[in-house]
Amino acid sequence: MNNLLFFFIKARPWILFAVYAVISCILLFNSNPYQQSVYLTSANSLSTSVYEAATGVTSYFNLRNINEDLQRRNSALELEVLSLKQQLVEFRDMEYARQHPLDSTLNRYNFILAHVINNSVHRPHNYITIQKGSLDGIEPDMGVVDQNGVVGKINVVGPHSARIISLLNNNLRLSCKVKKSETLGSLVWNGSDYRTALLEEIPRHATFAKGDTIVTSGYSTSFPEGIPVGVVLGELKGYDDNFHTLKVRLFTDFSKLSTVRVIVDKMSRELQVLEQAVENEDDEAPKKEVKN
Amino acid sequence: MLAITLVLILVQVVILNRICLFGIAVPLAYFYVILRLPVTISKEWLFTIAFALGFIIDVFSDTGGMNSLSCLIAAALRRPVLHLYFPREDELADPFPSISSLGFLTYFKYAVTMTTIFCSLVFIFESLSLFNFWHLIQCIIASSVLTTAVIIGIDSLTLPRREKRL
Repeated sequence: MNNLLFFFIKARPWILFAVYAVISCILLFNSNPYQQSVYLTSANSLSTSVYEAATGVTSYFNLRNINEDLQRRNSALELEVLSLKQQLVEFRDMEYARQHPLDSTLNRYNFILAHVINNSVHRPHNYITIQKGSLDGIEPDMGVVDQNGVVGKINVVGPHSARIISLLNNNLRLSCKVKKSETLGSLVWNGSDYRTALLEEIPRHATFAKGDTIVTSGYSTSFPEGIPVGVVLGELKGYDDNFHTLKVRLFTDFSKLSTVRVIVDKMSRELQVLEQAVENEDDEAPKKEVKN
Repeated sequence: MLAITLVLILVQVVILNRICLFGIAVPLAYFYVILRLPVTISKEWLFTIAFALGFIIDVFSDTGGMNSLSCLIAAALRRPVLHLYFPREDELADPFPSISSLGFLTYFKYAVTMTTIFCSLVFIFESLSLFNFWHLIQCIIASSVLTTAVIIGIDSLTLPRREKRL
């Protein structure tokens, strides 16, 4: 018994060693990390506060990398915002087209919505620039309208943009008629006021009244018949003795143009071919007569 | 001694645990505390301190009982190793083993041996779950070299202060 006691006293450090070793082994081989007490992991409050303090200092070391990352991310996001804005514009166009429905008789025509990116009303020859071009299907001589009335004709086309020769340009003559009496005339701008234009070459016998609506005649492939242009303000006397000349208030507010529609006439090519053929036939007709 | 221990634990936990040179070398500088414990200390205290030290590191670095078991075994082997290089330890003027008390060469041999034992234990326990022999050997050698260098460095740093006290 004494020997046993003596052994324990002598071996006391090694018993302690064994106890510690067993505890360590239990900790080491406790393979299930979910069953560990929170106090034995780095999630305890002391470890947390130490690590927090350390992170408070060391986080500054990474700022350069973080900054670069953020800038890269920022530029990616900016690109995304830009593309989303682009989509928004497209959807707005669709919404605009839905909210301003067009006459069903205009099925022959297609419309390309475009935004005005440059516009002038004060020069004698005004032009408008839009952000759509040949890649969007725009071709020269297409008519351009907005929700109120005629705007102009496509003049020069680039891949992503096009220039419109504005109605406020005295190089452009537009074939129009008085809606009520079907009297034909030619609309031209006189270069003074962007709200008014002149309808020239109205025959002397024609009847009209103040407030009559002027619409397009449809005698060109640019504009379908009946697109509103303006209303008659009155006759301009002493301008041309052989014809009436009417002062017309334009429906389109050229100072506030934003979204315009480019008219695509699906039949324009067909008509061109047809007209060309007719012209050729006329040329050939006399020869046939000679043969006969 | 307590101050050195606390500082080393903090440094180990906050800085050195995040260092892993070339993917293999981890400096385990806190082991310096066990090397530095006086030779006159009783076995009970030696084991208790070693276990407690390893346990604290384990808790901070989420390594189960890896460091505590390694520290415990290394502490038990401390006296035989020291005896191997410095048989007359009773003649030590200063009970704290250091460069100044043992001389550089003896201390270096003592430190290298102890560190190698300790690093081997740590990495063997670590690799119990994922065994890759060559990686294990590389880790042990690289970490032993790095840890020894750090420990010699720390001992050199504490040298002048002790001389001033004397």
